[in-house]
Amino acid sequence: MPGRLRKISPLKNPDRPYYALGLEGSANKLGAGVIKHDVDGSSTVLSNVRHTHMTPPGEGFLPRDTAQHHRTWALKVIEDAVKQAGISMHDVDCICYTKGPGMGAPLVSVALVARTLSLLYDKPLVGVNHCVGHIEMGRVVTGAQNPVVLYVSGGNSQVIAYSKQRYRIFGETLDIAVGNCLDRFARVINLSNDPFPGYNIEQEAKKGKRLLPLPYTTKGMDVSLSGILTAAEAYTQDKRYRADAQPTLDEDIITPADLCFSLQETVFAMLVEITERAMAHIGSKEVLIVGGVGSNERLQQMMGTMAEERGGRVFATDERFCIDNGIMIAQAGLLSYRMGDTTPMPKSTCTQRFRTDEVYVAWRA
Amino acid sequence: VRVPFASAKHAAIAKQVIEVDRELQPHAVKRSLTVEDDVLVATFTTLTVRLARLTLNAFLENVELVVRTIGQFGEDAERVPS
Repeated sequence: MPGRLRKISPLKNPDRPYYALGLEGSANKLGAGVIKHDVDGSSTVLSNVRHTHMTPPGEGFLPRDTAQHHRTWALKVIEDAVKQAGISMHDVDCICYTKGPGMGAPLVSVALVARTLSLLYDKPLVGVNHCVGHIEMGRVVTGAQNPVVLYVSGGNSQVIAYSKQRYRIFGETLDIAVGNCLDRFARVINLSNDPFPGYNIEQEAKKGKRLLPLPYTTKGMDVSLSGILTAAEAYTQDKRYRADAQPTLDEDIITPADLCFSLQETVFAMLVEITERAMAHIGSKEVLIVGGVGSNERLQQMMGTMAEERGGRVFATDERFCIDNGIMIAQAGLLSYRMGDTTPMPKSTCTQRFRTDEVYVAWRA
Repeated sequence: VRVPFASAKHAAIAKQVIEVDRELQPHAVKRSLTVEDDVLVATFTTLTVRLARLTLNAFLENVELVVRTIGQFGEDAERVPS
């Protein structure tokens, strides 16, 4: 690695413990969490409460219903988070909420609660970028130093690396996100959405035996996923498709398990390729996988194989931190706050499009 | 629409919280939020009746959320920390 200078971090250890409440609601997961930054520089998760808006199999979640779910559950989830943390809301230093990106109505529902709490308890607000939240939580949980980050979820798919106070996007999806592709396919084959569609695809894929040809669409540093989704859905209209059969190599049939398997293998191989490209560009040896799709063990396994071949390693978190949660917002928010950044009330809006590199990362060298 | 609150402070909080977000169609919907003592007064002018229904529904949903939040956390917030 060229010129490895150990830069001094601008973030000094705090002189007293800091607490932050983080509120997340950009998709169908509503999360609240309390994090503590101690004087020795450590970050401790005091509580991490989440409630998911679940839809029946074959249906996705719509903004209006999701917002209603968040409005219904927000107060309970926040109350539980504060109680489980064992502190009072008065001890909290700042209230962090997801400013974006995400779905409009759900974001605003959570922001309204955040603003009200901020005015009631006279605490500053910190608007947090959802993607940066994932990255910061991944960094603190795994201890990765300067990894190439693969952020893959239902709403976003980006390959990110840190450079000079910004999380730069090296590659991303040109159309839909990986999780979106998997979720929509799960809808077509009527998989349950409990606990989340991707998990059920992963379990189905383990039973698959046939690797069906699907378009492999990496475009340089980026990927395109809508074509693969269409191709996979087209297979369900194929003469050989049997919705209820067990996978077998004896008959020439296609089963949902085979399709799940083929879809996963193709899509994950593409993700591994674009991540490897970014690693080669930067000369990095670490990969950090964050975002809901990051909890998929097959993806972690494939990435691990690639990383080891390059003499590196993969960092991944478990579903407590991979899937959208409030604690990651608290973490990223508190880091911002400690560097002096707050969001004044008139600016505490939400935005559906919020690029990861728009955030000024003041807390890293 | 006039929404009464328990105190002038609560009404002011509600106004500050709700006025941050822009109306989704600012050219078709005009909104003004004021506080009269402990009452939040919201005045909407819309181009169509349908828009009036949609705007009011959204406004009332938001007010309800803020009111519930104040209801659940208001007392604790007033309590001076020991």
